[in-house]
Amino acid sequence: MKIGKTANRIDGISRRTVLTAGAGALLAIPFIKRAEATEKVLYVNTWGGLWDEVARDVWFKPFTKETGIEIKTVSPVSFAKLAAQARTGVYEFDVTTLGVAELGRAHAAKIIEPIEGSAIDRSALWDGAVIMNGVKSHAFSNAIVYRKDHFPNGGPQNWRDFWDVQKFNGSRSLQRYAARTLAFALLADGVAPEQLFPYDLDRGFAALDRLKPHLRVLWTQGPQSAQLVRDGEVEMIGMWTGQAGKLVEANVPVEIVWNQALLDQAFWVVAKGTPRAENAWRFIQSAVKAERLAEFCLRDKNGPLNPKAFDFISPEQAKLMPTYPENFKQAIILDPEKIAPQLDELNQRFDRWISS
Amino acid sequence: MTLVRLGAIAITIFLAAPLLVVVPMSFSTAPSLQFPPPGLWVGFYAKFFADPNWTGPLVNSIIIGIATAVLTMAVAVPASFALVRHRFPGRSAFNLLLMTPLIVPHIVMALGYYVYFGELRLLQSYLGVVLAHTCFSIPVAMLIITAALKGFDLSLERAAMSLGARPLTVFRLVTMPILAPAFVIAGLFAFVHSFDETVVSLFISGRDVATLPRQMFNSFRMEADPVISVASSLLFAAALAGVLVPAAVRSVRRTLDRRNSPLAS
Amino acid sequence: MTMSRKPRIKTGPILLGLPAGLFLLAFFLVPLGYVTVLSFSDPSWGIANYRELFNSRLFLMTLGNTFWMAAVVTGLSLLLAYPLAYVAATSKGTLGKTILMIVALSFWTSYLVRTYAWMVILGVQGPIPALVALFGHSPPPRLLFTSFAATLGMTHGLIPFMTMALFAVMKRIDPKLMDAAGSLGARPWRVFWHIYLPLSAPGIINGITLVFITCLGFYVMPVLLGSPREQTIAGLIGDRMEQILDFGGAAAMSLVLLAASLGLFSVYSRYFGMDRLWGGRI
Repeated sequence: MKIGKTANRIDGISRRTVLTAGAGALLAIPFIKRAEATEKVLYVNTWGGLWDEVARDVWFKPFTKETGIEIKTVSPVSFAKLAAQARTGVYEFDVTTLGVAELGRAHAAKIIEPIEGSAIDRSALWDGAVIMNGVKSHAFSNAIVYRKDHFPNGGPQNWRDFWDVQKFNGSRSLQRYAARTLAFALLADGVAPEQLFPYDLDRGFAALDRLKPHLRVLWTQGPQSAQLVRDGEVEMIGMWTGQAGKLVEANVPVEIVWNQALLDQAFWVVAKGTPRAENAWRFIQSAVKAERLAEFCLRDKNGPLNPKAFDFISPEQAKLMPTYPENFKQAIILDPEKIAPQLDELNQRFDRWISS
Repeated sequence: MTLVRLGAIAITIFLAAPLLVVVPMSFSTAPSLQFPPPGLWVGFYAKFFADPNWTGPLVNSIIIGIATAVLTMAVAVPASFALVRHRFPGRSAFNLLLMTPLIVPHIVMALGYYVYFGELRLLQSYLGVVLAHTCFSIPVAMLIITAALKGFDLSLERAAMSLGARPLTVFRLVTMPILAPAFVIAGLFAFVHSFDETVVSLFISGRDVATLPRQMFNSFRMEADPVISVASSLLFAAALAGVLVPAAVRSVRRTLDRRNSPLAS
Repeated sequence: MTMSRKPRIKTGPILLGLPAGLFLLAFFLVPLGYVTVLSFSDPSWGIANYRELFNSRLFLMTLGNTFWMAAVVTGLSLLLAYPLAYVAATSKGTLGKTILMIVALSFWTSYLVRTYAWMVILGVQGPIPALVALFGHSPPPRLLFTSFAATLGMTHGLIPFMTMALFAVMKRIDPKLMDAAGSLGARPWRVFWHIYLPLSAPGIINGITLVFITCLGFYVMPVLLGSPREQTIAGLIGDRMEQILDFGGAAAMSLVLLAASLGLFSVYSRYFGMDRLWGGRI
């Protein structure tokens, strides 16, 4: 009712402006847009940089060719935007990828589309492909990366070293992502990997408090993390190994520390209520196909979560991937079930920690 | 005195020099913020003009800027006449209302528009951004038009009227030609004000009508890649043209005037 | 239609002012009203948002930091803009014109362009750290993402505003006054101190008010160049909206920021009259 009334007011004003200025308002009126349900288009939220480049080649172009659905990319990635979209009903993107912690939050807050009754063909997926309405895509490592030129005799070898500001002098950066950053803090404080979950929040935040003066930036976007360490703005950083691998290839003097790397998983999700949900599920279906996922992971330096993808990856290459069965066993894996009940408190405290 | 002049020169250099950094960076081959650039090429220009995520916002900004300028003038010109030529109850409150958009921080308005336009279904629409930008541009345009109006000699209009011209004819043939330059400048200011506006666009323009400043701001957050320097160089070139062209025109005209003037030589 | 009796275009002032008034009512005051209501109603009715703000050490520190930064930027830009405006207003040669041209160029250049420039200049691979390293400072100092960077960027960005506000007043100061004082034997600095400075005071007050209010609400540069640990209020509001989706809290902060800006403005207009504030813009 309220909306209708105010909308009338706009019309009234437009009419008045037409009378006084004619052309001006006429220019503006056709700009009111209405989304059509049958659009041949899909908006995908991307991480930009390398991710974007690879996704375009491996996922977007073939999908458009098969279906005629045009893919447009929207960045930056923002969990808050996903939540805001469900609230306002105005969609910037239809599809995005989430880590396990975000997936848990999104599922609980009902801001993603349920997979039941969706356009996806679940029989074509593998066992365990779907958790909490997200479709598994790939796993990626979050590890310490340091500048070799700053630490010629070797830099931090584990998270305890990363926290040791006396021994390893230099500025640091971590991701603005509660679930991952808290794991690092607890590992630094001496918690054994097998006892990491559920988190001891008080202990973790106390450890974060100690490091805070030495954290120059909390990064939010993948390419941003690469830029910080590439340009030498920070000496050490907790970042994705895929991004870091690209830096190594580009001869940037950085070292990736695989010890105590934290493995997280990426899930495809569809924004709740989007008019393009059908296109979105069709896209996800095609993106997790073994061959395409294999190609994506090879180029983005991740590990496929579709086991069949390894059929398209040579054994040598597979051994370098975090999801290769042998590596998977050694990794510290972010446990979605054990941290799920903590997520609300965790994120609230993390936000408060950032802004205090 | 010379010390003051030297100081002024140094400060002028401080104003100008940082801006000049932008142009060589746009031709840099380095993917990072390395200065001076290790090598030069035009690849990032090609990237800018080939990427719809950059060209789209450029076009959107131009459309929004023009629409804002037109709408601003449509309401600001009559309001200026009301303010300058009439005395009426509530005039100073009216004046205050017209000027406050210059005082209110844009981030506050961004929040207001986000919620309000969300209800009106105007998020991610040209109309929404144009309406918001017009609010900010009205005072800017008003300042210019009212100043011109105050300097306007009313006896010209009276003379035309005493010769039998109708009010609209007077406006068209006398008032308008004299004030036209001020109108053009006011419209231009409104356009630039809209074209440069970042904060409100950031929060309400969304995907479909993303403006160039929004795209630049988001790119800064992703990675300050050299494509931003291309956008920056283009904006800088526009500003440079905006300042140099009128100055050049003026100096050419002055030279011509001097040459044609019978008093010269 | 016969000839108009009044020597004016025959339209009432109400009718002329109505479009602008209604427009700003609908698209400026109403959204501001939304912010106000939001601050008292989201997530629940009451003053909880404000109570939380004024119990938050972070908010109070950020508030202090914002005012401090605004004061520093205003002071610095006055210090730098004054000689600029002075020379532009008093010298007749090309120097004055060049200064005005550069100021105009700077004025028209988008804040995002300047932000990019400062990122390059202050970045670890940029010229300033290289210069500092040349003098033996190693490792190069970290300048980007600090309050220093934000302060420098904002000062650089606001000097044109300050210069224009000063210049508008200075160009009306009659140089003969100074000449007269000089011919009566007063030393140049005394002439400046006792005559020129007081005469230029209105410009100083205009400039300070404009720049300070602008600084309080500045978003782009503090967010992109500044330190995440020493935010400004505007940055904090943006963060609340974007990352935390706490619209009530963002609205309460907005109202505090709004009150500060409007408060300063009303103090100014009470003593000096509102219309003069923007004299320098034209």
